[in-house]
Amino acid sequence: MSMTAIAIPKSLDLPFAPQVADPMEQFIIKPIVQLGGDGQLSFTNSSLWMTLTVTIAVAFFLAATRSRSLIPGRMQSIAEMSYEFVAEMVRDSIGPNGMKFFPYVFTLFIFILLSNWLGLMPSIPGLPAEFHTFTTTSHIIVTFALALLTIAIVIVYGVAKNGWKFLKLFAPSGLPLWLMPLMIVIELISFASRPVSLAIRLFANMMAGHIILKVFAGFVVSLLSAGAVMKAVSIIPFLGIVAVTLLEILVGFLQAYIFAILTCIYLGDAEHAADH
Amino acid sequence: MARDAGKDQPPSLEELSDRLDAAQAAHSPPAPRKDGAAMGRGFRIASELIAAFLVGGGLGWLADWQLETAPWGLLVGLGFGLAAGLRNANAALAEDDAARDTTPGTQ
Repeated sequence: MSMTAIAIPKSLDLPFAPQVADPMEQFIIKPIVQLGGDGQLSFTNSSLWMTLTVTIAVAFFLAATRSRSLIPGRMQSIAEMSYEFVAEMVRDSIGPNGMKFFPYVFTLFIFILLSNWLGLMPSIPGLPAEFHTFTTTSHIIVTFALALLTIAIVIVYGVAKNGWKFLKLFAPSGLPLWLMPLMIVIELISFASRPVSLAIRLFANMMAGHIILKVFAGFVVSLLSAGAVMKAVSIIPFLGIVAVTLLEILVGFLQAYIFAILTCIYLGDAEHAADH
Repeated sequence: MARDAGKDQPPSLEELSDRLDAAQAAHSPPAPRKDGAAMGRGFRIASELIAAFLVGGGLGWLADWQLETAPWGLLVGLGFGLAAGLRNANAALAEDDAARDTTPGTQ
């Protein structure tokens, strides 16, 4: 992959100093505080934005639930709507017993949603690169950790609740005996692929969207520096950025929703493994 | 009710319930599986397919590495992975269809 940095002429007179127009630069992990191990253990920009996500979520829900009025205000309405949204999802896909998983699914949903949306915020101009806006969910290791946590809960809870009958999940009923060995292998691979597909989907969506945004932004800068006529043309990629940003808000919500509902479906499988 | 007596025509119950439905529909959050979300559905199915293929191939490759049976582990693994991926994609499509059938207003 060639990463061409576009030189920006001095005559452009931007209010800030753009360094590179590399669409992949936004994904680079930059240590902020080194904790030891020759920089292998650091508080990075990714950690910073995860901390920000959690802090903002906690602060918002603390503020929203403080008044606890019968007729909710704006913030309380948003909190109640998100509660209802996730609670309905949990009840529909796991069943009435599923509400014990509500705290986990809600935390997961809000964390992913906020990470996706915070990553769309513009960076504050003039800040060093370590503090630029960073989308934690655009890194596969982050999404894979979340997906592994979900699958670990599915396995531990499934075995604890159903015992050996949890293995029925891998043996579909009503099959001729000679197909069984084949189907069990296929079901095992299918199960093992769940965390991978959860992780790939979220990370690929976020990374693709952010690359498109930065490529369009790069077009604007190069067109602005390319002469009088081209300056006028630069409105086209600029409108593109606006459209893609709106689309990314939808995608950010949708991916958080899909991650959460698939978590619910997998937890539902663990809950009902012995039934079929 | 008695207060309505002097007015020309009170709205019929059907009309009232239609208006109630419309008002409720306007206030409920948009169903996330509408056509605007087609990209999400596409990504869902594609990732199910690819993930199982990768996992199957990966397991086969691991078996090759441990048992020194190359290339048979990888080949068989990819075959099983493809089967599992198709099964996953089919299940995802079936879930989607079921969700669409129960959600009115989405086509």
